[in-house]
Amino acid sequence: MAKKPIVEIDCIEVWRQISNYLDNEVDPDLRAVMASHFKDCAHCSAILDGTRNVVRLVGDGRSFEIPAGVSRRLYAKLDDHLATRRPKKRNS
Amino acid sequence: MATARVQPEVEADLIERVRCGEHEAFYELVRPHERGIYMAALSILNNDADAEEVVQEAILKAFKAIGKFRGEAKFSTWIIQITINEARMKLRKDRRHLYDSLDESRRGEDEGDYIPRDFADWREIPSEALESTRLREALKKALDSLAPKYRQVLVLRDIEHLNIAETAKLMGITEATVKTRLLRARLMMRDALAPGFDGAWRKGREYEKVRPF
Repeated sequence: MAKKPIVEIDCIEVWRQISNYLDNEVDPDLRAVMASHFKDCAHCSAILDGTRNVVRLVGDGRSFEIPAGVSRRLYAKLDDHLATRRPKKRNS
Repeated sequence: MATARVQPEVEADLIERVRCGEHEAFYELVRPHERGIYMAALSILNNDADAEEVVQEAILKAFKAIGKFRGEAKFSTWIIQITINEARMKLRKDRRHLYDSLDESRRGEDEGDYIPRDFADWREIPSEALESTRLREALKKALDSLAPKYRQVLVLRDIEHLNIAETAKLMGITEATVKTRLLRARLMMRDALAPGFDGAWRKGREYEKVRPF
């Protein structure tokens, strides 16, 4: 049985691809090489965990909310517009 | 939940009702996207009052233009696009883009590799920690500290969960640039929030350590 070639990747290249790795935007070969690197490299593994944490935390709907009271005011201009339109409609 | 997922048929029905003159249906149509459009405006303007003003204008413009909405794009991306255009117009009007571009050049371009500041391990943050105001404030502070072009990509991709192609189209940049900026944005967020080697995350002082860029 042919031995799998051992392909190494350096940390800088891993950091370049770490976001694509999380988004499944790397090809399977590179993915396998990176996965193997993460097993052996505590630094890259920490960067991966931290970056994944960022994606998870910012993507959680509780992280960023519209300030209190703003939601109601977002329609102020539309309300004014409709208020001025309605009487005109009735007059026509 | 980020921008709410509304069944396409429900949305299509609401759009049709608005076109038929049932104006109240427009409020129902926009409500699930309030946070998305507000965050899109804020990512460009980085100021709550300006974002609010721009979103008010964008909602009015969307209402007036609803007859032109053909459904080639999702309603959410359509209204986000209107909001982004409004926000950029406001920047130009206020001539703030001049300062922003100076600011961006000081904070570095996307060329060149981004080297993480440290290798702190903060895998242990549970999502329940988001109940903490301090963590939410830390996230906001970290997001605010990013240069606008990184913040905008992060908001569209990771907060609004738009895909790479949608983000590229909305921002008028290539998909490759979206990926480059997203990488940098995520690594800078990690660096801004990472606890450092002192293990401060685990000692109760964790959220004080937001490092601005």
